[in-house]
Amino acid sequence: MSAGGSGEAAGGMSHNTIIGLGLLGALIGIYAAHFLGSYASFLGGIGAIASILWGAESVRRVSSYGLGTGVPSIGMIALGMGVVAATFGLAVGGVAGPVIAVIFAALIGLLVGLLANTVLKMGIPIMVQSMAEISIAGTLTIIGLSVAMVGSFTFADVLTGVIATGYIAVIFIAGGLAILHPFNGNLGPDEKQDRTLTTAVEKGAITMIIAGIVAAVNAGASGALTIIIGVAIWYIAFSRFYKLVKRDSFSVVGTGLLPNEEELA
Amino acid sequence: MIDIVGALMDNIISVLLITLGGVLISWSVHFVPVGGAPAAMAQATGIGTGTVQLAAGAGLTGLITAATMMGVTDSILLVLASGAIGAMIMISVTMLVGQWSYVYGVGCVPSSAKVKYDPITKDRQDLYVSQGTEGHDLPTVSYVSGIIGGGLGGIGGAMVYYYLMIIENSLPATELVGIASIFAVGIFFVNAVIPSYNIGGTIEGFHDPKFKKFPKAVISSLAATFFCAIMGVIAIGGL
Amino acid sequence: MEPLTGMGVLALMGAAATIAGASEDLESDVGSQSNPNSQVQLAPQMMYPHRIYNKAISGEPPSNALMCAIGGTVATVLLGMNASVILALTIGSLVAAMIHGTFSVSSHLGRIASQNRFKQPLYLDIVKSHTPVIIAYSFITTICILVISYLMVVVLGHPFPLPLLAFIWGITIGAVGSSTGDVHYGAEREFQNVEFGSGLNASNSGNIVRKGESGVRNGYDNSWFCAKFGGPVTGIAFGMVVFLSGWITTVFDASKSAAMGWESVLAGVIIVIILAIWNRKIEVAARNAYGTYKEDQDAEVAA
Repeated sequence: MSAGGSGEAAGGMSHNTIIGLGLLGALIGIYAAHFLGSYASFLGGIGAIASILWGAESVRRVSSYGLGTGVPSIGMIALGMGVVAATFGLAVGGVAGPVIAVIFAALIGLLVGLLANTVLKMGIPIMVQSMAEISIAGTLTIIGLSVAMVGSFTFADVLTGVIATGYIAVIFIAGGLAILHPFNGNLGPDEKQDRTLTTAVEKGAITMIIAGIVAAVNAGASGALTIIIGVAIWYIAFSRFYKLVKRDSFSVVGTGLLPNEEELA
Repeated sequence: MIDIVGALMDNIISVLLITLGGVLISWSVHFVPVGGAPAAMAQATGIGTGTVQLAAGAGLTGLITAATMMGVTDSILLVLASGAIGAMIMISVTMLVGQWSYVYGVGCVPSSAKVKYDPITKDRQDLYVSQGTEGHDLPTVSYVSGIIGGGLGGIGGAMVYYYLMIIENSLPATELVGIASIFAVGIFFVNAVIPSYNIGGTIEGFHDPKFKKFPKAVISSLAATFFCAIMGVIAIGGL
Repeated sequence: MEPLTGMGVLALMGAAATIAGASEDLESDVGSQSNPNSQVQLAPQMMYPHRIYNKAISGEPPSNALMCAIGGTVATVLLGMNASVILALTIGSLVAAMIHGTFSVSSHLGRIASQNRFKQPLYLDIVKSHTPVIIAYSFITTICILVISYLMVVVLGHPFPLPLLAFIWGITIGAVGSSTGDVHYGAEREFQNVEFGSGLNASNSGNIVRKGESGVRNGYDNSWFCAKFGGPVTGIAFGMVVFLSGWITTVFDASKSAAMGWESVLAGVIIVIILAIWNRKIEVAARNAYGTYKEDQDAEVAA
């Protein structure tokens, strides 16, 4: 399951645009959901989708160099760093919690990236930046989904509503897979950026639906709205993904035998 | 705003021992005989899965048994021992059944391509390596190495969890368990991925030449976990 | 708690774990996941197009952890609404299995589309016929893990919340499944075209068997084959992990005294030593039965 290839992955959308979209989108979504009252809690899920999009693009960029082990490992370290930074940020930061979490996530990511390149000598030029990016993306995904579940990022609410109940586990793994799966699931020489990122939106919508299911039993958040909007985004993203698959596949057939040698030549 | 310096000073022992736990996890991964994708096709020695996956599977099973023990006793040694035992049982069962699959299902003889003689049993290895492969299955040395790795990982995970749980705070028990357990899982994953980048995803056990690279991963994990431990202690200690 | 009740619960957990292990492995065979899937991925590049489902969601531990954690989450939400336990666990598993289905579809479609230059066609009948089977297997796995986790929380009094326990058991079952039963699929079923017991020569990489007992081989044929050995042994493995790790703490109950706690540790050490000796016996038996490769290359290696 190791990702092959060497050299930077190219794509239509510039990387800086995606960083901006992910970072600002997630922070705006999180703060809006926190301040605008219970009906706006779905905005936390939208924020999570933005950060998942960014995380998936960063995984795509760094994994194109070949990590020596599977793509999934980088998704798991993203959420491992993210859960530490997110809990810390919300615990100490109060209303500045998400911003503090982002800063500390960046610090852990930079540290791990530096260690990977200097001590472990992995020799991936964008490793430091990418580790910081996926660490922040993981953190924002966790906070965004937590806000979508309980309607605020006040630590007391998150602690009782998300952490003590164990829902943090589903945020951890669903967020992690939403970040690592798009590139892993589209891996191959003809991988295209738009298709990978559409998968990220589709998987992000699924995490949003899960957050909505949890929100259904929390007074501070609106479960029904989150689920409906999540399903709508999922449907749109999946339809687009299927279109892109049909565009990129060599041939789409209902059924058939294997191509013979002349057809392959 | 919480008293950061105070929380840190009161729990400096916890910071240091959580860091030690992370280092143990990182070191333990080097013992786990994992051959990655080639091993799943009997093309390389070791268990046919990824390092992070097997180490996490074993270590987190240890976390479950350690938490069971922590629910009924305060003895640190007992918690660490049951963490180690849980992880060792998981990994030895997995390796044994993996061995069934290789020997009975695939028909290969356990052998290592990295050493000529098994350092424990002194069995000849190279003659049993089939053509075009780098060994297959788990010779005894890899099996023993895997048990050691599982045990160390279990101790490491249990240690992180234990020292997060004893930080002074005013949380109700369920919230403390929730935050300590997910922190332990997070730190476990960080420290399982770092060494797997160090060894490039595959290793046969402590007899593998790659094992000598472990100080690099241990240093990296030391720095990363220390940072995470400070954040964890401040987050929990400030509540 | 009565020791007898504890043993009964443990037996039930062991049974559920055995079923979960078997269905986990067959789920990864019918859809081809984890390390053996690297060969399915490689095959078109080596000019061997195929009709096998390429379910590259992630490694097995994360994908199983995902479905178990989703199941545990939905079940906890429903239990909070006073739903009955059976209903909560069933609906939780159903939601988890459906979401697992979407991950399976996106990975298969995505990976095939990314192999355009190798002229690998995308067969829609494979997607339509295999995805329901994958969902069904993942439903069985998830509900069994949820039963284990629920019993641990409610009866055995484990401190972790249900979604977290389900998540950890999901990681563990994935690790067990990808280490045991997958070998039977990856090393034997995918390469039945090479001599039994020869391992996989690196030069044969990607040359997977693509013709079935009848027609062109697909995931159904693989799960049919692996159900004879790979699936059951994975079930035994995960059943043993759950049963043995619980057995030592249930029989030697540390809540009674610290000495009992140490007895449970000792029991665990003895189990590990027995397993290590068993492993050594298998190694010696295999060396004697199969012999060497280098001295006598043409000899029949089959047992």
